[in-house]
Amino acid sequence: MTDLGPLAVAFSVMVAALLAVLASWLRTARNARATAPERVPFTGGRPPSAHAWSRYHARYYPMALLFLAFDMEMVFMYPWAVVFVSEGIVAMVEMGMFIAILLLGVLYAWRERAFDWT
Amino acid sequence: MTSVFHRMAAAADAPVFALAGAGMRWAVQDLLLADGITLVDSPRAASILLVAGELGPRLGEAAARVHDALPHPRATVLWASAPDGLAGAGAERIGPDADPVAATRAVFRDLVLGGRPSEPALLPDVDPATWRGVGPYGQGGSGMTGGTPYGRPMAELGPDRDGLRLDVLPTRLGPFFAPLPAGLELDLRVSGDVVVEARVTGSEVGTSEAAGGSAFVRALTQPQSIADLEMARARAHLRWAAEALRLQGLRAISLRALELARTIAPGDSAAVGRFATAVQRTGVYRWSLPNVDDRRRSLLADARLGPVSRACGGVDDERLADPAYIALGFAPITDVGDGVAAVWRARFGEASQSVDLASRAGSAVTTVTGTTESPRGRIALGDAPTARALEFVPALVEGLEWGDALATIAALDLDLDEMAALAGVTAA
Amino acid sequence: MSPLLEVIAAAAAVAGLLAVGALALAIGDGVAGAVVAGRPIRVLPLLTAPVARAMLAARTGSTTTERPDGAGRAVAPALLAGLAALAMVLLPLGPGVALADPDTGFVVYSAAVAFVMIAVFLHGWSPNSTLPLHGAYRFGAVALSFQIPFLLAMLATALPAQSLSIVRIVEAQAGLWNVVREPLGLPIYLVVGLAVGFWGPLNLPDGDDLAGGTSAEDAGWARWLWQVARLSMLVAVAALGAAAFLGGYFGPILPGPLWVALKTGLLLAVMAGAQHLLARVRIERFVGVAWVLLVPLALLNVFVSGAFLL
Repeated sequence: MTDLGPLAVAFSVMVAALLAVLASWLRTARNARATAPERVPFTGGRPPSAHAWSRYHARYYPMALLFLAFDMEMVFMYPWAVVFVSEGIVAMVEMGMFIAILLLGVLYAWRERAFDWT
Repeated sequence: MTSVFHRMAAAADAPVFALAGAGMRWAVQDLLLADGITLVDSPRAASILLVAGELGPRLGEAAARVHDALPHPRATVLWASAPDGLAGAGAERIGPDADPVAATRAVFRDLVLGGRPSEPALLPDVDPATWRGVGPYGQGGSGMTGGTPYGRPMAELGPDRDGLRLDVLPTRLGPFFAPLPAGLELDLRVSGDVVVEARVTGSEVGTSEAAGGSAFVRALTQPQSIADLEMARARAHLRWAAEALRLQGLRAISLRALELARTIAPGDSAAVGRFATAVQRTGVYRWSLPNVDDRRRSLLADARLGPVSRACGGVDDERLADPAYIALGFAPITDVGDGVAAVWRARFGEASQSVDLASRAGSAVTTVTGTTESPRGRIALGDAPTARALEFVPALVEGLEWGDALATIAALDLDLDEMAALAGVTAA
Repeated sequence: MSPLLEVIAAAAAVAGLLAVGALALAIGDGVAGAVVAGRPIRVLPLLTAPVARAMLAARTGSTTTERPDGAGRAVAPALLAGLAALAMVLLPLGPGVALADPDTGFVVYSAAVAFVMIAVFLHGWSPNSTLPLHGAYRFGAVALSFQIPFLLAMLATALPAQSLSIVRIVEAQAGLWNVVREPLGLPIYLVVGLAVGFWGPLNLPDGDDLAGGTSAEDAGWARWLWQVARLSMLVAVAALGAAAFLGGYFGPILPGPLWVALKTGLLLAVMAGAQHLLARVRIERFVGVAWVLLVPLALLNVFVSGAFLL
């Protein structure tokens, strides 16, 4: 298979699953239209007093920033992993320095309580 | 061909959303052990709505709304129950002595095989959105946040302790929200996943007659056998454990707690100890339960909330006032560590102690009436620990993350039946 | 064979593998639950229960909520199933035998795992309902925390292979399995795997304190499909974990594909046990542990196992 094969397979499975969902919805839609009380979101039997969609306070945003730094590091680590054995100790030291700096960032974030939000 | 598939579907465990009415909390809990039905936490996952016992007039509409949330095909089983809101459902009615599992299975089978029609919606089909003439849905503004789309306003901005102004989402939990006792209505305002404001807006299930009286309530007016009382206490703690463990995602071990509550015999404190060890091995104390800060500890320590207060540094126990208990060498369990985990340890310790006391008590009876130590703390005529605990709920959960808040509430072991029963004692 | 037919055949094969794995995990979960609960193990009901549940799901209608994102609701379970397939298609079944063997197999797998966050978030956000919404944002925190330990644990297996191809990663374990070469890798990978499939102690987005969380509004077929997609994701995680750490198809006497199945089954059994034996972790606790413990340990694993290769 070509390099795009996996994506094509995933896409096929996704389409099949999507069709399964839609077929079931169509069948339900044909039978009955949901009444207003049937559509009320469930939180225990009372109607909600506001829309759930809101400007949600994702309190882990400092951690998300830290994640961005590490995710960029991963971009460098993919090719590094391939050449690690052939480049030897140089690759190890260079990546070690880079990682050490990033880990200081984790320590700083930890001290600043970026992983706690209550 | 279709009928083969339907017969296979009818062989599945019937998914049941249960509403526990007055005095039926434990009867519903016992259904967790039944074969052939599964209790689910959301009506969307259920085929059968099981209403156990009386719900009282306050909960009729909520019960109807839960009913309407079930997908088709759906059916209702009323077990010793005739709630106002569900009168029009064409439900199956069974008496208090009937077997709810067999009846539910029969209804489920009929429903899946097509012999029983799916129940129509009960509440009138009135759109909460009023047409305001502006916007694609007539919501009175354009875009997602304009006007009041679908009759529900958008959440409003609120200040927050970290200086950001983001939405504070009002949330109405209950009366039939699985992590809370049935009948409890909790109005939260959450900023992200942190509770910034909590209010208890409803807490009665039914009348005091329907709620019945436990051995502890009877002990307020006449002497009771200490062996019976202490076994009832051990069972209550184990039943509490079954609920609390379920909330922490430990369904299998929760069933063990229920089974133990059913089979435990006086003197078998080793069985309780083994169970407590199994619970400890799940890591629940280490990584699941929240801390309780000093402010909350001092709030709870003197509230006479039984194991909760004693886990927070309190020493009160009504049993210390009873010479019959002193003669048995009773001393309350204190100093069990920190946080909500301490409450868990206190309850397991007390369950074990109670089983032991029960075996040593012989025919001894209580000698003090008027006040008693229930599994939830000090009870007296018209004074229920649950009523006192409910007053603390806002102070306890404000500032906590969602999961921590619910774990904290679960630790209180709120019992609305006991509260109703004690309210009835005053009236009498 | 034309490329289109090839893709369709591969998709059918992958869907079959995932279905068998998901069924095995569902049955194993039932058995583990009965054992831990001390309930009698009744074989026939345990074996047929998943099929009966599927039939009931097909019999049950779907529900909707007020002003949901209908497209999002339909896509989310399909996306999760597709991501499981994306991972599974990379699984080496024998020497040089995999449905697809791109040079960048590991990158493809990481991309699939990264996108799980999108699927779960979409699933929780789309019903426009409070409990699913909380589950969705919770998974944001979980996913951002498990990503780095996951990548690092997997990356260490690419060092001896000198390649990002999963087939190569397995081939490099001919003499010594990675579970021995880098003992920290598999434990970290398993913890992270539970988070990827939001399963057991790390079932935070669909937790019991949210009455089902992102799936609280799901009924009937859509609900079932979401559960199956999540089981499939766990199967894919277990299968690729067996390939990356347990030597994939290597093993004495038995044919290679059987070893793949056995090792995958072993990891699935660990997951089924974790579901019933470990309590749900507090979200903050998990985030803290992931960053302060798992990330440094995973880096240690990379560098120490790397040093032995030089």
